[in-house]
Amino acid sequence: MNSLDQDTGAELSDGEYVVSSRNGCPDHFRLLVQRYQRPLFAYLSSRLGNQLEAEEAAQESFVRAFLSLKKLRKPESFYAWLLGIAARVLKEQFRAAERRQKDRAVAETLLEENPGSEPEYPLEEVIAVLPESYRQVILMRYYEGLSCQDVATRLGMPLGTVTKTLSRAYALLRQALQARENAETTVN
Amino acid sequence: MNCAECRENLVACLEGLLDAEQSRQCQAHLESCEACRAEYVAINRLQERLTARGRVAAEVSLVEPVMRVLHHKQIEPERTTLMSLLFKSRWGFGLGAVATAAAVLLIIGLATPKAQAKAADVLARGAKAVAKLTSIHLRGQLRTLPADNFSYIDANSAFYPIELWKQFPPEAKWRIEKPGRVIVMDGQQTVMYIKSAKEAVKVPQPTSSAFDTDWLHRIANLSDTINNELRLAQAQGWKLDLAEETAADGRLKSIVTVHAKCGLPENDYGRNKFFHDADTRRVYRFDSQTERLEGVQIYLVRSAGEVQIFDLSQIDYDQSIDPSVWQLDLPADVSWYKEPEKLPDNEKYASMTAEQAARAFFEACAKEDWNEAGKFMSPVSKDTKDYLGGLQIVSLGQAFTSKSYGGRFVPYEIKFKNGKTQKHNLAVRNDNPTRRWQVDGGI
Repeated sequence: MNSLDQDTGAELSDGEYVVSSRNGCPDHFRLLVQRYQRPLFAYLSSRLGNQLEAEEAAQESFVRAFLSLKKLRKPESFYAWLLGIAARVLKEQFRAAERRQKDRAVAETLLEENPGSEPEYPLEEVIAVLPESYRQVILMRYYEGLSCQDVATRLGMPLGTVTKTLSRAYALLRQALQARENAETTVN
Repeated sequence: MNCAECRENLVACLEGLLDAEQSRQCQAHLESCEACRAEYVAINRLQERLTARGRVAAEVSLVEPVMRVLHHKQIEPERTTLMSLLFKSRWGFGLGAVATAAAVLLIIGLATPKAQAKAADVLARGAKAVAKLTSIHLRGQLRTLPADNFSYIDANSAFYPIELWKQFPPEAKWRIEKPGRVIVMDGQQTVMYIKSAKEAVKVPQPTSSAFDTDWLHRIANLSDTINNELRLAQAQGWKLDLAEETAADGRLKSIVTVHAKCGLPENDYGRNKFFHDADTRRVYRFDSQTERLEGVQIYLVRSAGEVQIFDLSQIDYDQSIDPSVWQLDLPADVSWYKEPEKLPDNEKYASMTAEQAARAFFEACAKEDWNEAGKFMSPVSKDTKDYLGGLQIVSLGQAFTSKSYGGRFVPYEIKFKNGKTQKHNLAVRNDNPTRRWQVDGGI
């Protein structure tokens, strides 16, 4: 996310938090957890269909992210990188479930069905491809539950800029969703 | 309004941010232009998906568990913090020599990133001190109505006890109780029971917080409190004070005060009714020796003056919790809340205005037609039937909104069977899959 206002220091960017976390300021990693816990949880929840398992997977993803933070080449891409880690955690969970069940059919059902409550692409994956300034507004509006006015106040921008940013973000999200759905159709 | 103007205003229109005339023009254009209408529907659909995704994660609180794991892995480097400076260097004020209670206020300006980092360190130290906890038990008192929502505050009400027991993962459980309501999360499911109405609501899975108890959980999950307070203070430009105090017993205390502003307009109906929608002064007191939180006081800040609304003076860390705390004994005749389901004639109700729904609900109560009333409220408990049965509608006003609430409020005056009258605002919302207005409060 863009540094919004360095003078007031309202929000630092993902990249800045990543760099300071690497440099021995884990409190800034707390702020990254705070920033992305909800979209990450929603993503995992849609895949697992179980809140407790989603919480555990999200926790595991954040811990792995912290432990691997030095390997992150583009600190500004923290969220997309975090989703990649979460996808690996998911895969491991499904494999573990498969082993536990000792019944491949059951595990395959799990894999197939566990977009579960959301058969469409999880929005959190698509949100990751948004430019940081757009993603920030989407996350505040929908995952933090702020009104447009609250987003404007928090970011120190006019209300009209918030609605315009949302408008552009919606257009990009719809394009990305359409592209993925088309790709899916082609594969199938 | 032409297509370009309409497209430019679509988001503002969907967010309800246009004035009456602009809104009318936008709606008129949408009615006449199929392409813009399709765009409107597509954006609305995406907004609904996003809202649903956000709702899924609304209660999640991972900061504390994640940081606890990191702490256990001993990957957090030790560092000098402002808290350690407070306690060890005492800011050079020599307060150790002061025998009686005295405080020195240090107002930390949040204008520079450096100052923010200092403030973060002060609060993070407190979080670290509780990172290895297995359980916590909070006992406090809150100015509220005993059976009302857990985050409801009322400056004119008496104090009522409120208590939280919490067992941290791996076997997470919690219970929150005030005189008229109790919630138990027993590791399998989360159940809230409203005692006076004999009504219960079940979330068939474990939760880390539910039913508007987030504010109390955040105090128990200290690092969340800290992160949230700090982020909000930074983002909203709230003032944050740090003070040092020597108590009567000679022990040094560190006090963090957050001056929170809700941002709602003065005349908003929802202002100062719930924790998150109130201007508050929140005082967190830490002990110098243990670095643990010792108490929290929260004051409602009004133009008429401050009123203390919450006092948390007893915090027990790591005490064993009796297993009976995780049990919830419900009466045999308990009524369970059910999500509204689509009715054969659902459209008739979904197309109602909030005022029409309020009238239909009260008229059903007047006729004691509980099947009809149940279309607006589920369940209609025996208590509700006794209370509302046979009422008369005196008047119904025009619905209004609050920035803090997703539904609408319909002003009403009703006369009960016993001749008493009541004037209040009925809270109704239709953000459920059936789109029917459901009574959400205000009775």
